[in-house]
Amino acid sequence: MDTDDLITRLAAANLPPVRPARAPARAIGWWLLASLPALAAMVWLMGPRPDLGPCLADPAFCASEALAAVTALLAAYAALCAGRPDEPGWKLALPFAALALWLAVLGRQCFILSISTHGGALVVRPDMMCLPAIALTGLVPAVALLLLLRRAGRFRRYAVWFNAALAAAAAAEAALRLFHPEGTMMTMLVWQMGSVALLSALGAAAGRLLRPRR
Amino acid sequence: MADEDPRWRDWLAAAQAGDATAYATLLRAVLPWLRGRARSRWPGAGAADIEDIVQETLLALHQNRHLYDPSRPAAPFLYGILKLRGAEVRRRRQRHAGREAELDDAALAVSTPATQEHATGARQLGEALAALPARDREILELVKMQDLPLAEASARSGLSVPVLKTATFRAIARLRKLMGADHGY
Repeated sequence: MDTDDLITRLAAANLPPVRPARAPARAIGWWLLASLPALAAMVWLMGPRPDLGPCLADPAFCASEALAAVTALLAAYAALCAGRPDEPGWKLALPFAALALWLAVLGRQCFILSISTHGGALVVRPDMMCLPAIALTGLVPAVALLLLLRRAGRFRRYAVWFNAALAAAAAAEAALRLFHPEGTMMTMLVWQMGSVALLSALGAAAGRLLRPRR
Repeated sequence: MADEDPRWRDWLAAAQAGDATAYATLLRAVLPWLRGRARSRWPGAGAADIEDIVQETLLALHQNRHLYDPSRPAAPFLYGILKLRGAEVRRRRQRHAGREAELDDAALAVSTPATQEHATGARQLGEALAALPARDREILELVKMQDLPLAEASARSGLSVPVLKTATFRAIARLRKLMGADHGY
């Protein structure tokens, strides 16, 4: 088709008006508004872990919780930016930086604990509750983000889906550690972080499956 | 972007409100700019490819008018669409070229045989096409001769895209077999 004809067709007299989509920074506010009460309710329903007080006094625990929250926030922001053509690509890399830092801090803690406990921290115990608990805890943040992404453009779909899944999983992981004692450090790394990685990968795979066909 | 006309953002904001005249003015105003940008981003692309990229950009702009924030400049928004859609068009072209290489070998272009050898090849092809089941002929006509996008060919043939891809592959295999060129499959 000739480009002039295309323009004539696109700019037909019955051009429907459209409501501008929310800016990512504003959408994040709505996401927090929906997700934080749901995560708090989940911690309350499951009951805070018995050693929560000492944990909150431990700077290492607080650092990893803060990094989980930052990863969730940045991943949600990246998901909301990825579908917008005028948002630069570097914003999509932000959650990777936070995720790398989070993993590095957890790895360092694991290393230090493994020395102080003579390898005790490296023992991995089966923790079958992690995956379903993270998936369930992350349900409301995931649904809230999907609702906010309904009007996202069909651009960079992998990044949209991966980051949305990472945001929900990281938020769930931050909440999970408040009600679920992880046993050893390595158990936490393998089962909890493994669940976050698995759910994020499933999100990316969903983006591929739901990609519009041409 | 320095080369943005300040009126673009007004026209784009008006287009969001449903002003068709402002929208047409905007599309015609940005057309040469988009072509220039596409040529500088993909210097190796042919004129037809550039026009395809520009048309895809206009279509994507139409579908995503709601994503424009009127408080921001319009050029980065338009260029963002051009970059992302253009990259998709280029990837699609490369995949398509790979798929078509074998068909080119089978000399599907029956229009202008210049030599005796070509004439024989074209006749063979015509006979082979005639010997194909009607459904295979219809699929090859839509996907390879008319070169329709898979989605459109799927809508016209009534087959889903994955089924259409498989059916195309099988139709080509049968055609090659009929032409005595089934090695390599």
